[in-house]
Amino acid sequence: MSHIHIPDGVLPWWLWLAGWLVTAALLGLASRRATRAGTRRAVPIIGAVSALVLVSMSSEIVPIAYHVNLTVIAGVLLGPWLGMIAAFIVVLVLALLGHGGITVVGLNTLVIATEIALGWALVRGGTRLFGIAHVRPVAAVSTVLTLAITTTMLVGVVALAGTGAATRETGALDAETLEFRNPFSGGLFSIGLLGHGHEAEEEHEAEAGHDDEGGDAHADEDGHAHGAALSVSRFATVVYTLGPIGWLLEALVTAGVLGYVGRVRPSLLFAGAEGLGRTPRIGDEHGGH
Amino acid sequence: MDVTAVDRSAISGDTLLHRAAPASKLIATGLLLGAVVTVNDPLVAAGVALSLTGAGAAVRLPLRTMLPLALYPALFALIFAFAAAPGPVTGALVVLKAVTAALAVVTLMFSTPYPQVFAPLQRVTPQVVGDALLMTYRSLFILAEKFADLTRAVRLRAGLSARQPVRSAKATVRALGGLLLYSLDLSQREYDILYLRGYEGGLRVSGKRSTDRTADTAAMLYAALILAAVLTFRLAPGLRGYAWIVTVAGAVDLATGLLIGRRRS
Repeated sequence: MSHIHIPDGVLPWWLWLAGWLVTAALLGLASRRATRAGTRRAVPIIGAVSALVLVSMSSEIVPIAYHVNLTVIAGVLLGPWLGMIAAFIVVLVLALLGHGGITVVGLNTLVIATEIALGWALVRGGTRLFGIAHVRPVAAVSTVLTLAITTTMLVGVVALAGTGAATRETGALDAETLEFRNPFSGGLFSIGLLGHGHEAEEEHEAEAGHDDEGGDAHADEDGHAHGAALSVSRFATVVYTLGPIGWLLEALVTAGVLGYVGRVRPSLLFAGAEGLGRTPRIGDEHGGH
Repeated sequence: MDVTAVDRSAISGDTLLHRAAPASKLIATGLLLGAVVTVNDPLVAAGVALSLTGAGAAVRLPLRTMLPLALYPALFALIFAFAAAPGPVTGALVVLKAVTAALAVVTLMFSTPYPQVFAPLQRVTPQVVGDALLMTYRSLFILAEKFADLTRAVRLRAGLSARQPVRSAKATVRALGGLLLYSLDLSQREYDILYLRGYEGGLRVSGKRSTDRTADTAAMLYAALILAAVLTFRLAPGLRGYAWIVTVAGAVDLATGLLIGRRRS
């Protein structure tokens, strides 16, 4: 459940475009931070951890057909800024393999980057607070909390999209007016931020006398069609029912892997992969490489 | 998700699409994604998906490897449609949009090597992001091979078995832990190489030119036609009753593509 498996052309254009714009701004900031820290050091680490996440996502845990994400682990290794770049790369490569839409890459990046940043903060903070001996429970609790928060973000995305406009306007262009409809034309109410979006949309449709796409609409007595909304409550019920199974599995895997890392290279839990250059590597004590 | 199969086809394939310039294929994919975003009728979406599959068959792309990858998002789209779509028609549209978009990008990736797809992205992304994309591509295959070796080793020691899920999970976690440490060592080696070569940022991929102008024109014209058809049905609600024509046309495309592909083999 960690990333949005929503295809292209389902979310309204203003939502995925906003996702792209915020992602672009954050990527700019993250790149500046990475360049300041040293491009030569940042590029291989981001590449290796992104590849690790991609490999883990492409492999199933036998026999339950669940793939892990390792986003919390990526957070522990990379921190929030390099993690932002890794999130973008992972989502982009997945989208190029058909796993998630291209238009939702921005929103997906924000969800995964949040997981990475929260994972970094919670595990790093928890390990400092409770000590490295308790890294497994800290990692497990952090993972569950992180995934619960990002799943709520996912529900929030669907809720934002869940007005009549989003359902009728599954594409970018309004068929009747030949215009990109401005979601803010009726103020904040029209995008449902304050809970009146559907009413505003129905008013708009009543004025235009629109028909709904795909025939899922119902007509009122005047013959005006009303766009059916994405069912946010049903969606939330499904993700909050199935989600915890995934959270638990991810928590077990994250706890297991970080427990292993805590035994063999504890410095990684405190300094992350960025600290590799500053600490001697195991086996390198007696010479070069 | 077999990434190596995609790479193998992109690098060693020799189809009409492989001969087209990456830029033309990227434009064609953009037009097809535009069609996916715009389409609002499941029958039209089904027609586009069938036609795309037919085009892939006609140029002899490895459909057996491509189709499972393109159909994979349908599973998640189905869950999303079940959970959120207001009715079966919108649900079908959501699933078809997922499959059609996946077919478009998978066709691109099966006929174009990753670095050539990333090259235009490098021009618009910050240098670190562009370079890290290429480094991810390099590391991905090394780690995928290493993980396959680790899993095989665990399996040979009877560590992975459907009858013992707890033991299997523990073994997989240990393999992932080993892979994590290996990936960090790999990044250290890559750092050493970059240091020795005096890297200061800016890995460049030289753009590949077209070896067949006809292929460029065909790819872009085909995508433009698809977008035009979708827009026509979108902008003329009166045509909604005739959307089945697009599905039939797509089915004809598929049959023709399969015949052409068989003749060429």
